[in-house]
Amino acid sequence: MLEMHNISKIYRTDLIETHALREFSLQVAAGEFIAVSGPSGSGKTTFLNVAGLLETFDSGTYKLDGQDIRGLSDNARSRIRNEKIGFVFQSFNLIPDLDIFDNVDVPLRYRGMKAAERTARIANSLELVGLSSRMRHLPAQLSGGQQQRAAIARAIAGDPALILADEPTGNLDSLMARQIMDLLEKINSMGTTVVLVTHDPELARRAERNIHIIDGLVADTVPASGARRRERQGPAHAESATD
Amino acid sequence: MALTSHPLLSALRRNPTGAVLIALQIGITLAILVNAAAIVTHALQKMDRPTGLDTRDTFAMEVADLSRQFNVYSASSADLAYLRHLPGVAAASVIVGIPLTDDGGTTTVGRLPESQGPTITSAYLPVDQQGLRTLDVPLVAGRDFRASEIRVPTVAHPDPRIGIVIVTQALANALFAHRSALGQSIYLGGRTPSTIIGITRNFMGPQLGGGEHAYDTVLVPEIVTQYAAYDLLVRTQPGKRAVVLREAKRHIDAADQNAVVGYTWTLSHAKYRMYSGLRNLAVFLSFLTLVMLVLCCLGIFGLGTFNVVTRTRQIGIRRALGARRRDIVTLFLAENAITVSAGAIFGCFLALGIGQWLTTHDGLARLDPWYLLVGVAVLALTSQLAVWQPARRAARIPPAVATRTI
Repeated sequence: MLEMHNISKIYRTDLIETHALREFSLQVAAGEFIAVSGPSGSGKTTFLNVAGLLETFDSGTYKLDGQDIRGLSDNARSRIRNEKIGFVFQSFNLIPDLDIFDNVDVPLRYRGMKAAERTARIANSLELVGLSSRMRHLPAQLSGGQQQRAAIARAIAGDPALILADEPTGNLDSLMARQIMDLLEKINSMGTTVVLVTHDPELARRAERNIHIIDGLVADTVPASGARRRERQGPAHAESATD
Repeated sequence: MALTSHPLLSALRRNPTGAVLIALQIGITLAILVNAAAIVTHALQKMDRPTGLDTRDTFAMEVADLSRQFNVYSASSADLAYLRHLPGVAAASVIVGIPLTDDGGTTTVGRLPESQGPTITSAYLPVDQQGLRTLDVPLVAGRDFRASEIRVPTVAHPDPRIGIVIVTQALANALFAHRSALGQSIYLGGRTPSTIIGITRNFMGPQLGGGEHAYDTVLVPEIVTQYAAYDLLVRTQPGKRAVVLREAKRHIDAADQNAVVGYTWTLSHAKYRMYSGLRNLAVFLSFLTLVMLVLCCLGIFGLGTFNVVTRTRQIGIRRALGARRRDIVTLFLAENAITVSAGAIFGCFLALGIGQWLTTHDGLARLDPWYLLVGVAVLALTSQLAVWQPARRAARIPPAVATRTI
């Protein structure tokens, strides 16, 4: 699904160069749930920006769903973001002027879908996150957890192959955070690849793999040992894992 | 295009203040633009009408004499004798009143005496037997005055009877509609009836200031001698006006020490002066409209720029969700189009209201709907151009803005 080889990303000003990613390599299989963690300033957000085609990179190769990303036009990158990637941001990033229905509708409109199909997809995704009854509410009329669920509905409405979640529980209390993580796991169980960027080791442990970044480099890759791994491998594997 | 109006309207409805103010500004600008354009067009059409005169090669001069022995008839006859033989002169005549200026008189003209029927206010132009030739105005019917028909009333013998007149075609039509005016009797002021012996092609006489009835002129065969001054009208051969004017002034000054050339008018300057009010109005209204349009564009530009600044994150989010740059430009143009449409609807009603008021109070023609259509098109185009730069700026906002925590 996601193949990065020797990706470098350098931010330049007149005075300094900051190497945000150095020879960064990572492969994520389709349907996998991984966590990318690391301390502040380690390059997590840069990785997310590059992986999500929000920023370009300086060197290396990046293939998303088999498609080489390097050298694509801005329009082509927009189309891939729209069709293949669903974003879940730390601060929800719902458009405050639009109600929940219209917020979920935004990426679908940019895809040029017909109204009937959009309506069906919006209804399905809002039902999945439990917000069917709130579709005409403005973001400001919802709690933080509800807003993040609405953002998840927006991310999955277009049926993307990859969900990129940037600190999705960073602005939520522990109960809400658990609900959001449950929701992401539920989406992953339906076949969608999930890449979770977090600085929280507890959350990272819920993924199948935990990629630890320090100074723009992959420091180590730790297979998860908790419930998430057991669920994916089934009861027999779960038993052997606990032996 | 990946946009429909509903989310745009809901976004505008939730933040209406700026858009409402701009819509009001657009409406007021449209109302002023449309009515000003109608007034200016009307003024330009008026100024563009032919004078019917050879304005390029004709001039007039007033000759005055302060000596007690001044005899207008003999002095003007002597001047005309000189002028008519001066090289470069095509024709010269003594008149009272200079076409296209306020110098001259008017009279009421009617088919019946004033107390018995309606009258028309007409320019009154006393001329000698060379008056029409000097004015370069051809007859379309009838004949010119003969030398023997030129009256020379004096203070001692005022002689109010005029007897025969020549009128312009416009005045003839106004008096007799589709009937022939030739040979008909008309009443000038309170005088005895006069017979129309000739009808000229239309030309603008004195005193009517290029108004709606500027072509209504009646010519009478008369040399006015009651005043201590007379007007000479001179038409020169093409391109000779300046030379002849200089020579005529030099001659009159030298011929009689008491004679003074009071003023000189070229008819081209007279025409320019006659329309100065209209021209100033047209310039002022055009300038005012331009200023309103620029202010409107600045308002739209300002709101657009404000929206870019305040919605940077939102635009970044839209980009992250798959909006192309042209989708962002389209978003701004579409939002602006909604504001402009609302303003245009308001402006159309306001323009029609102002137009109706001007029709009622100032007698202007009813506002032609074409002005509204063109005005809306101009405003729509300029407003979209005004928002174009902020829209392009918005489109350059990178999608990575969405992941920045502010």
